[in-house]
Amino acid sequence: MRRSTAAAVGTLTGAALIVGVRLSVQPPAAPAAAPPSTSLVDNPAPAATSKKPAGTAGAAGKKTTEPAKNKSGLKDGTFKGKGATNPYGTVQVTLRIADGKITAVDATYPTAGNSATINPVAIPKLKQETLQAQSAKVAAVSGATYTSQSYQESLQAALDSAKA
Amino acid sequence: MGTAVSIEVADARPSSELGELIADVCRWLREVDARFSTYKPDSEVMRLRRGEITAAEGSEDLRHVLSACADLWRDTDGYFDAYAGGALDPSGYVKGWSVEVASARLAAAGSANHYINAGGDIRMRGHHPDGGPWRVGIRHPWEADKLSWVLALTDGAVATSGTYERGDHVINPRTGKPARGLRSVTVVGPDLSLADAYATAALAMGEPGLAWLSKIATDGYDSAVVTDDGRAFSSANLPAAV
Repeated sequence: MRRSTAAAVGTLTGAALIVGVRLSVQPPAAPAAAPPSTSLVDNPAPAATSKKPAGTAGAAGKKTTEPAKNKSGLKDGTFKGKGATNPYGTVQVTLRIADGKITAVDATYPTAGNSATINPVAIPKLKQETLQAQSAKVAAVSGATYTSQSYQESLQAALDSAKA
Repeated sequence: MGTAVSIEVADARPSSELGELIADVCRWLREVDARFSTYKPDSEVMRLRRGEITAAEGSEDLRHVLSACADLWRDTDGYFDAYAGGALDPSGYVKGWSVEVASARLAAAGSANHYINAGGDIRMRGHHPDGGPWRVGIRHPWEADKLSWVLALTDGAVATSGTYERGDHVINPRTGKPARGLRSVTVVGPDLSLADAYATAALAMGEPGLAWLSKIATDGYDSAVVTDDGRAFSSANLPAAV
């Protein structure tokens, strides 16, 4: 439980940072002389802005389509944040802006290595218990039985021969 | 498939009818083997491999199997991989699916109480002849004559994959190396074809499979796992017998 909760928090923090950077600061290297950067009115993300100097922000984001100016000051286009790395892997946020409004926010989750299977949503973990070694009465036995030889040696075979 | 199949039909019917039901299951399983075996050169799978037929020209069952394998590849983050060994080998899906279909055929023929156990992967319906649920033991991963869990089910599937049986036979398709970390993975759920594939995929994942299994538990697929170092885990709704 603790691990998956931590993963969710880590992911959200990373996403907030990237979104904040992309929305509030124009990359200094942007070719079009855009108006001074404008924070989102409803979602200024001040913490992220204050912690990230503009120079870093420019390096952090990469435009994937050509920007176009509009009245809100946000450039149209699709923007990818720099990957934020947490112990479970790297999360990258993609922001799509059309008509100066955010139309889509996407996040990619880890897709490589051991982290690939860990979902950022907190979910109940399997509970640990003591491994039993019991001999109870059962109708059938589930186990990794791949060959007829291993079937012969299996509990299921013993059950079958008792019935036959 | 090279697997021993145990069938018990527990309906109160004349033994001749029960015998016919079981014979029908055996016919179906032989038919599946003839069409999907990678050991039979004239099977549909082998003809597809050699390019003699296209997937579109295959039987409806073949197309279903290919499509299910593709879905499972996505749903398991690539850990269930019918192409893990290079060439198409859908055996990991076909075994569970063929038993799932066999049980459905029994049900359609009027059998409300039965189980089919194909190499440790079990699909059951209804009740034990004594009237209670079917009690299914999960083999202990080190002591072949002991059980690590006992489950009670009336309708559902139990599939177990383990490294204790074939050693390094289970390959992590991401690394191409033998799976490490988990010794035994059992998945319990409504559909044996999925339960079997999920157990195989989680075993290939190794210890991160524990987190993945907890995710599919929310879809109704419970699990019981033993790690290489002997730790045991189970999901909250595992139907343990009391």
